[in-house]
Amino acid sequence: MKNKAFNPFEMAQAQFDKVADILGLDQGTRELLRQPMREYHFSIPVRMDDGTVRIFRGFRVQHNDARGPNKGGIRFHPQETIDTVRALAMWMTWKCSVVDIPLGGGKGGVICDPHNLSQREQEQICRGWVRQVARDVGHVRDVPAPDVMTSGQHMLWMLDEFEAIHGGHYPGFITGKPVGLGGSLGRTEATGYGLVFTVREALRELGIDPKNTTASVQGFGNVAQYAIQLYTRLGGKVACVSCWDQADQTSYTFRKKDGVDLEVLRSITDRFGGIDKKKAKDLGYEVLPGDVWIEQEVDILMPNAIEHQITGENVERIHKRVKLIAEGANGPTTPEADAVIQKRGIFIVPDFLANAGGVTCSYFEQVQCNMNYFWEKDEVLGKLDVKMTSAYQAVSEVARKQKLYMRDAAYVVSVSRVAQACRERGWV
Amino acid sequence: MGMPRVPDVPRFDRRFFDGSERFTRIGEGSVGGKGAGLLRIHDILLSRLDPGAFPDFEVSIPTLTVVATDVFDAFLDRNDLRGIAYSDEPDERIAHAFQRASLPAEILGDLRALVEQVRQPLAVRSSSLLEDALYRPFAGVYATKMIPNNQLEPDARFRRLSEAVRFVYASAFFRAPKSYVRTTDRSIRDEKMAVVIQEVVGGRRGERFYPDLSGVARSYNFYRSGHARPEDGVASLALGLGKTIVDGGLVWTYSPAFPKASPPFGSVAELLEQTQARFWAVNMGKPPAYDPTRESEYLVEGGLAEAEEDGTLRLVASSYDAGSDRLQPGLHGTGPRAVNFSPILVHGALPLNDLVRKLMADCEAALGEKVEIEFAVTLPAPGAGKARFGFLQVRPLVVSHAFVDVSASDLQAEKVLLASDDVMGNGEVPGLRDVVYVRPDRFEGRFSRRIAGEIAAINDRLLDAGRPYLLVGFGRWGSSDPSLGIPVGWGQICGARAIVEATLPRMNVELSQGSHFFHNISSFEVSYFCVRHDRDHRLDWPWLERQEAEAETEFVRHVRAEMPLTVKVDGRSGRGVVIREA
Repeated sequence: MKNKAFNPFEMAQAQFDKVADILGLDQGTRELLRQPMREYHFSIPVRMDDGTVRIFRGFRVQHNDARGPNKGGIRFHPQETIDTVRALAMWMTWKCSVVDIPLGGGKGGVICDPHNLSQREQEQICRGWVRQVARDVGHVRDVPAPDVMTSGQHMLWMLDEFEAIHGGHYPGFITGKPVGLGGSLGRTEATGYGLVFTVREALRELGIDPKNTTASVQGFGNVAQYAIQLYTRLGGKVACVSCWDQADQTSYTFRKKDGVDLEVLRSITDRFGGIDKKKAKDLGYEVLPGDVWIEQEVDILMPNAIEHQITGENVERIHKRVKLIAEGANGPTTPEADAVIQKRGIFIVPDFLANAGGVTCSYFEQVQCNMNYFWEKDEVLGKLDVKMTSAYQAVSEVARKQKLYMRDAAYVVSVSRVAQACRERGWV
Repeated sequence: MGMPRVPDVPRFDRRFFDGSERFTRIGEGSVGGKGAGLLRIHDILLSRLDPGAFPDFEVSIPTLTVVATDVFDAFLDRNDLRGIAYSDEPDERIAHAFQRASLPAEILGDLRALVEQVRQPLAVRSSSLLEDALYRPFAGVYATKMIPNNQLEPDARFRRLSEAVRFVYASAFFRAPKSYVRTTDRSIRDEKMAVVIQEVVGGRRGERFYPDLSGVARSYNFYRSGHARPEDGVASLALGLGKTIVDGGLVWTYSPAFPKASPPFGSVAELLEQTQARFWAVNMGKPPAYDPTRESEYLVEGGLAEAEEDGTLRLVASSYDAGSDRLQPGLHGTGPRAVNFSPILVHGALPLNDLVRKLMADCEAALGEKVEIEFAVTLPAPGAGKARFGFLQVRPLVVSHAFVDVSASDLQAEKVLLASDDVMGNGEVPGLRDVVYVRPDRFEGRFSRRIAGEIAAINDRLLDAGRPYLLVGFGRWGSSDPSLGIPVGWGQICGARAIVEATLPRMNVELSQGSHFFHNISSFEVSYFCVRHDRDHRLDWPWLERQEAEAETEFVRHVRAEMPLTVKVDGRSGRGVVIREA
């Protein structure tokens, strides 16, 4: 397994170093921003359903809070490592900064596999996690959210524990809650829609009408589905989607050259979100190997699944017609692939800008919770559009003026904002 | 006059006033009837009006963006609103259901960007596709909502704007437009609505925002007065927002060919009584009671004393001088003020009338037919800059040229049910059997709202049965002041092919001569009879009473004549009759 040697935190630091050079940051600022400001490592004892006690390892990493309370998800994953959490916390700092919301970056996790845990056991992990960090998180310090294998239910257990400890209602402590229990309308759509807002702006900049474009989408989860929805409403055509098949433990690409129909595909998905191959075939879809999404003759690629999907090995398969890659997933492109994309002159909307709609809406959720007044969906999505559009424009302006690759420009914008906040606070 | 193709209109680039374009669109569908009219003005101004010809004016279309009809479709479909929209639910239920729905996400960023830059009143107007497709104006049928848009918080401004858009969408499915569409060969299901979001021309005066004057001018006058010929046209001016004119309130109506000629008032006292005393403005002050389903939520009425305090009467009013029992143009002394626009029209303070005539001529030439235009004007402070002439709308006027001869002796003929020499319209309508009339013995001004409801119900029934009718009532039809007449909306009487405004000794008011529904009656070629009890007009009440009632309510009778009636109107002489056939 090639990926075992890969250390995401080292990669995040290398990316930061490159930007620090462009910005000419001083040594103190570099040292401060290369490392998390605080880390919490702890054990969570849980009495299991069979009466035994198991100890789970939990983390919370607060990378930087110069611009506001830390913000970031909590991952439940059997292969969780502290370096993954550190890297993700740092990326959260940049993501919050690039969309200019007053939050810092954080991330947390527990080494566990929820597939093998009962609901009660998962609840105990959630409550145990909060008991360990209850004094170091909260709406003015650090605001968690759902992430890999955690959901609104986990957030509610955590909120309940937090409120029991602090003796009051603090819905702003955590985001990603269900609507009606402190959640925000529009949260479901936010990441996918946010992605397409940036696609729309990028196309405008490239002088291309969305109606004259087709796209290939990797993934068929929440982000991909809402991205497809809004993109097709803007007039674009999605030629194919690729999707993980739980039974076959592989992915397939579902292609329909005159455009896939989102509602039809949604109606034939299983409980894991996989598309039914047979029904798709009957409906006139071609069922192809999972990796061919990348080589389609389309204008736009939207990798919306998981990290490391566009690599040195497959980057050359990208069709020459492709003009834009918008990264809905986190880290879908490896540095080697990135270099090729840059050389080929394909325009890119980098992940932490393209998928920042989610955290922006989480911020809106927190704001609404803090005032205990909840907005209409129109208001949430209208604000989201303006926020994403402004963020895109700020980055593209830097890219144009300083002749930078979009990914570098996005880092320049976000790192410089954080560095400036650190300086203005007198930290460096 | 084809539907403007959307690509002709540049896309809204999120800069409302600072963008290179003042006329933009959001969405991809049609811009609707009103949008099409505005596009025509845009072209006419560009191609025909020499900017140097009227140095006192800055003539322009107020900045606007049109939300195209595809957004309307998406709004209905994604919120599953078609069920309630096409139902018979009351207007307020439909309005409420629409308020709870979400606008399409694609346009939210644009709306938000708009309110983030703009902090002055906006008019949110409907622009119906059917209106354009039918080549018929739906004037006054759909809603226009004005919003002050002056709240400190962009969130609050965004909410108001999105509420106004949803309200305008809902108004497509209110009862009046449903009835209205039934008079055509189309279905309400064909309706699609674009929404025009436009800056309101005017200035802020204290807690009110309004133009110094609003106007409607037509290049053909269906109703003659004095020396003026029909081709000389007619113009109506009002202080404040144009709502006063649209609502059929008291306004100053004159012939553009004879701007100095006063309408035929019997005395100065009568003139003072029959000219505008109240005006409409956008309420910039304390927020009103929250009601997103009310069209006039953010409007406020003022009186002349307030206008004088605001400094807006200077060029639009005259003052009564008791010593000479005359009106003096402008503001003098403490006598009552009359809004007769004398400083402008008679004393030439501004060549407004010339500009209006020029624009009407340009529009006629461009459209190849008679036209109606709407405008709003802000006047400069003394010695300061230009007046701003906001050109708001142009519509084609339907003029029938059928030759119908009604002589003076015809008015006296034996089989005449009603006769008048004060009739608007032209042409002959044979075969009417139904007459709906307000019972003269029961009529009182204080019941006029109830009467309006009773008539609306009968109108609905006759529409369903496909039976056109003759409508007879007292005072001004459609007056917003129930003491002046029966406050119906056009949709409540739209099945009538001939309409009669009669007077009674106890309802002796200046008749509207169809001004309120002018556009509707002229485009549907409905004739309009004025029957005054104190003139040599005839109306055979005993005959009506003898007819068997098909329906009878507290105040209204619907009778069905055994033999068909024929309506004849001579547009050249203004004479008209309704004849009972043998």
